Amino acid sequence: MKRIVSLLLAASMSLALVACGGTGSTTQSGGSASAGSASSSGTQTPEALTPTQQIIQEAQGMTLEELAKKAIEESNGKMFYGVGNSSRGKSALPLFIEYLQTIDPSYTLEFEWQQPKNNKIFDQLTADSLKDTGTFAMTLIQDGNQIESKMVQTGILDTFIPKDWADANGTTAEEYEGYLPLQTLNKIFMYNNTGSKTYDNCWDFVAEGEHGLFMDIDSEIVGKNFLYMLTRDDYSAMLKEAFDALSAEEQAYFQPTIDAMASEAESLGLGENGKYALAWIKLWVGSYNAQTDDGPICNTLVDQSATDQFGLIVYSKLRSVEESASVSKNNITVAAYNDGYTGMGGFGYCHYLFVTDNSPLPWTACAFIAYMTCTADGFSAWGKDIGGYSSNPNVAAENEEIYHHQTGGMAEDGTTVEFAALNDHGYDWWVGDGKLVLEDPEYCASVSFTVGSWIEMLDKYSAG
Amino acid sequence: MDQMNIRRASPSAIRLNKIKTYFSKPHNVILLLMGIVLTFSTVAPIIAIVEDTFKIHPGTIDAHLTGQSAGYTIVNYIDLFTSPMAKTNLWTPLLNTIWLAVGTCVVAILFGGVFAFLVTRTNLAWRKYLSSIFIFPYIMPQWTLAVVWQNMFNSNAVTGTSNGLLAATLGINMPIWWCKGLFPSLVVLGLHYAPFAYILIGGIFRNMDANLEEAATILDTPKWRIMCRITLPMVKPAILSTVLLVFGSAMGSYPVPHYLNLTTLATKYVSMNSKYTGEASILAIIMMIFGVAIMLLNQLSLQSRKSYTTVTGKSGQISKINLGKVGKYVIALILVVTTFFTSIFPIVSFAFETFLPNPGDYSFLYTGDPDNLTTKWWTTDENVTENGMYGQKGILHNETIWNAFKGTIWVSVCCALLAGTLGTLIGYAVSKNRRSKWANYVNSVAFLPYLMPSIAVGVAFFILFSSEKINLFNTYTILIIVGTIKYIPFASRSSLNSMLQLSGEIEEAAIIQNIPWVKRMTRIIIPIQKSSIISGYLLPFMTCLRELSLFMLLCVQGFILSTTLDYFDEMGLYAFSSGINLILIITILVCNTLVNKVTGASLDKGIGG
Repeated sequence: MKRIVSLLLAASMSLALVACGGTGSTTQSGGSASAGSASSSGTQTPEALTPTQQIIQEAQGMTLEELAKKAIEESNGKMFYGVGNSSRGKSALPLFIEYLQTIDPSYTLEFEWQQPKNNKIFDQLTADSLKDTGTFAMTLIQDGNQIESKMVQTGILDTFIPKDWADANGTTAEEYEGYLPLQTLNKIFMYNNTGSKTYDNCWDFVAEGEHGLFMDIDSEIVGKNFLYMLTRDDYSAMLKEAFDALSAEEQAYFQPTIDAMASEAESLGLGENGKYALAWIKLWVGSYNAQTDDGPICNTLVDQSATDQFGLIVYSKLRSVEESASVSKNNITVAAYNDGYTGMGGFGYCHYLFVTDNSPLPWTACAFIAYMTCTADGFSAWGKDIGGYSSNPNVAAENEEIYHHQTGGMAEDGTTVEFAALNDHGYDWWVGDGKLVLEDPEYCASVSFTVGSWIEMLDKYSAG
Repeated sequence: MDQMNIRRASPSAIRLNKIKTYFSKPHNVILLLMGIVLTFSTVAPIIAIVEDTFKIHPGTIDAHLTGQSAGYTIVNYIDLFTSPMAKTNLWTPLLNTIWLAVGTCVVAILFGGVFAFLVTRTNLAWRKYLSSIFIFPYIMPQWTLAVVWQNMFNSNAVTGTSNGLLAATLGINMPIWWCKGLFPSLVVLGLHYAPFAYILIGGIFRNMDANLEEAATILDTPKWRIMCRITLPMVKPAILSTVLLVFGSAMGSYPVPHYLNLTTLATKYVSMNSKYTGEASILAIIMMIFGVAIMLLNQLSLQSRKSYTTVTGKSGQISKINLGKVGKYVIALILVVTTFFTSIFPIVSFAFETFLPNPGDYSFLYTGDPDNLTTKWWTTDENVTENGMYGQKGILHNETIWNAFKGTIWVSVCCALLAGTLGTLIGYAVSKNRRSKWANYVNSVAFLPYLMPSIAVGVAFFILFSSEKINLFNTYTILIIVGTIKYIPFASRSSLNSMLQLSGEIEEAAIIQNIPWVKRMTRIIIPIQKSSIISGYLLPFMTCLRELSLFMLLCVQGFILSTTLDYFDEMGLYAFSSGINLILIITILVCNTLVNKVTGASLDKGIGG
C-alpha cells in the first residue's frame, strides 16, 4: 500500500507532464502552404492552392451576406480563436455575432481573442502553424516587415480580399497587390505648448538638445519600420526638401552630419538623398528618450509641467485625457497643424487582416474580416478613435458621419474651437499635407538587414 | 537424519531481492521517480533552448546570413560574439547584469541583515510591527516599486518627462543617475529581496548561541571585533544562501531594468528576439550558465556549512543588546520611517493613484480641490462612451482584471499544492538518504531551476512546448508546470531542513508499530514540522501571485494578473495597475493571515518575536 501511495504521489507530476502533451496535433503541416500565399489567392490555379486558399479564392467572389451564410453553416455553436496586436478584436466579435444572428437568430459562437505581448504574436502564429488544423482562425497584425519575412513568405498567413472592399476601392481581388489593411494608424509629432518653443520643420525634432519621447524601436518594431521608410527615395527627397527650408544657421548645424552620411548612403545602396535620411535617423536614434508605451508619453505631454517636451505617439491617445488643474488637451499642439510646418508630420502603419493557412474556421474568418472592413458597425470598435482610418473609403466616410472626428475638438456650438488638437484632419490630409510616412512592408523587409543593421549600430540616447 | 539442502541463491534472485528491498522503502521510490521527472523537466528545456541557438529562423539574422530559411548553423554564435554589435548586444548587457545582481545582493543583505540583527538581537521597540511590515516589498510585484520610484523622482528638467511628486511639490530635481539606470534598479531590487535576507539571516540570529559572544565580552573583546570574528562568521551561511537566492533572481529580472532604463541580458533578450531570435537564445543560455555556476557555489557552501552546525544549536541563553531607553525608540522610529517609504507609501500611492483624473495627474495636491479626484477608475460600468477610461471598464466591473485574477489564483493554488507536496516529498526522501549520491543529485536538480534566471526558464519552456507535438502556449497547464518546477525548491529546502532536525527514532518507533507510511507522514512527521512545511506551500503561492518574468513569455496579457498589471503599467494606465496591486496585496495578506490563524505558520513567523 505504502509503495502504491508513494508511487502515485511521486508520479503525479510525470502524469501531468505527459497528459498535457495530448492536446497538440502530431503532424507537421507548416511547409504545406505555397509561397503563393504572399498575395491574395485570386491569381493562382486551384491545384497550387492550399485548402484554405481555395476557400479564400471562392470567398473573394462573395458578398458579405453570402459569406455570412457560409460562416453560419461552418461555425454555429463552435469556438472561434483570434489573435491580434489590437485588443479591439474582442469588441468587434460580439458585434459580428449579432450581425450573423440577424440572418439566423439561432446562431451562437463562443470566442476568445488573444493579444500577445513583446512580439510574441509571431512566435505564437509560427507555433500554431505547425499543427494540421490550427487554433487561430485569423489574425489582426501589425509590422509589415516581420509579416512579410516571417508570416507570408513562409506561407503561414493568407490574404483574403473581400469583394465589397475591393469594389469600394475600385479594384478586384485579382488585381490588388499587397495585404488587406483594416486601418491605417498614425503616430504624429506633438508637443507641449505651455512654453514658448515651436516646431515648424521636422528637422527641429533632431536639433541640438532635443530629446523627443518615443517608444523604443526595439520594443515596438513599427517605429523601426518608420526609420527604414525614410530611406526610400520619395521620403528621403521629402527630408531634403524640409532641410532646404531651414535657415542657413540651422542648416549649418545639420550639414556635417549629412555630409558624413554620404558614404554610408552609398554603401547601403540608397538614392541621392539617402544621406539626408541617414542623418535624420542618426540624430533621432541618438536623441530620443525611450519610453515603454505611448500612454506614458501622452500622460507626460498633456501635463503643464512638461514644458517644451515633444513626442511621436499615436494620435488616438489624446482621446481619453481628462481636463484637470494641471492636465489639458490644450497643452498639446500637433506639429503638422501649425501653419508653415515643413516636412513629415509623423508616420503611418497598418493593422493587417489575415486568415491563417491552417484556419479551423476559414469561412467564418473570411466573413469576420469582411464584416470589419466593409461595414461601419464592424469597424466601430476602432472607428470611435481619432487617428485610425478605415481602409475602406465607404466605411471611412460613414464613420466620419457618425463620429465627426474632423470637428471632434469643437465646442457644442460647432464654431468655437475647444481643443484644437482633437480636430483630426483626416487620412487624406495626413497623407497629403501632413506628409505622413507610410509603411511599405516589402520595402521594409528589403532593407531590414542593410539599413536595419546600420541603425542597430548607432549610439542610442540613454537618459540613464 | 535429513540433511538440509543449502541452496545458493542465484545472482538474479539476489539482484531481484535487492531491488525489492530498495523499493520497499517509500523514500527510495520517491527519489527514483523525482529524479527521473526532474531530470526531464530541467534538462529537456535546456536541450530545447540549446537547439534553438543552432536553428535557422525565417526572417531573422541567421536566415539572412546563411541565405537559408531552415536548417542548422553556428552563425548565431559567430555573429553574437564577433560582430561589431557584440558590445551592444552582449558585453554591455552582461556587465550591467552582473553589476545589477551583485548590487542587489549587497543592498538586500545590508538592509535585510541589519534589520534582522536589530529585530532579533536587540531590545528594539515595535519589533512585531516592523517585522510584519518589512516583508511587504516582497509581497508586491517588483516593478511596482520601480514605478513608484519613477513617480517620485522623475522630473521634466532631468528625465525629460512630467514632474514626479518630489519635483512637483518641493521643486527638487534628482540627478539622472538617481532616476534611471543601474542605481535605482539595484536599490529597487535590493529592497524587494531584502525580506529574503531578513528571513534567512534573522532565522540564524534568533537561534544563535549567545555564549560565544558573551565569552568574548567577558574577555574584554572590542564590539567590532566580536561582530567581525564571531557574529558575522556565524551568519555567513545565511548570507551565502541569500546571495545564492538573490543573485539568480536579480539576474533574470526583466521588469525592473525595463522600467528604469537599464539594458541587461533579460531586457536584451526581449528586444533581440524578433530579429536575432537564435542569438537571443544564446543570451538565455548565458543566464542559465550563471544558474549552474550558482548551484555549484551552493554545493560548496553546503559543504562549508557543515562546519557551522556545532554552533547553531539552540542556546538556553538569549541575550539581547540593550539599545538604551531612548535608543530603542529612536532606531525603531528610523526603521518605521524607512519601512513607511518602502512598504506603506507604495500602497498609499497605489490607492491614491486610483482616484486621480488622469494617470500621474496630481492636480489635487496642488489645488486641494476635490474636483480633481474621481472614482471613475473603480465604478465605471461601460466602455462605450468616451469618458477618459481608455476604452476600459472600471476595476470593479472589468472582466479582464477579474478573469485574470481567477486565472492567477488557479495557477498559484495549483503551483503551491504541487510544488509544496513534491518539494516536501523530495525533502523527506533526501533527508532519509543523506549520503546517497542519487539523493544529492535529486536535491541539486530540484534546486537548479530556482537558481536559473526566471526569464531564461520561461524562454526554455516556451521553446520546449511550442512544437508541432506539444503546443501549450497560453494555457494554464504550462504556467502550472513551469511554476511548479521553479518553486519546488521553496518546499524542498524548508522540508529538507526541517526533516534533518527530526530524529530518525521517531519514525522508527512508528515503523516498529507497523504504522503505514502514509499514516506516519500525516500523523507524525508533517504535524511536527507543519510550520516549515506550510511555508513550503505559502511561498510558492505568494511568489506565483505576482510572478512576471517567468510567465511573461508563456501567455498573453490579460491571462493572469501579473501580465495584466504589467500591461496597464506599460500603457501608463497607473490607476488600473495600482488597483491590481492593491488586490494582490490584500489577497496575499488575507491568505497569510488565514494560514497563520489556522496553522500558526506565517512568512516572518518567529523572527519578529
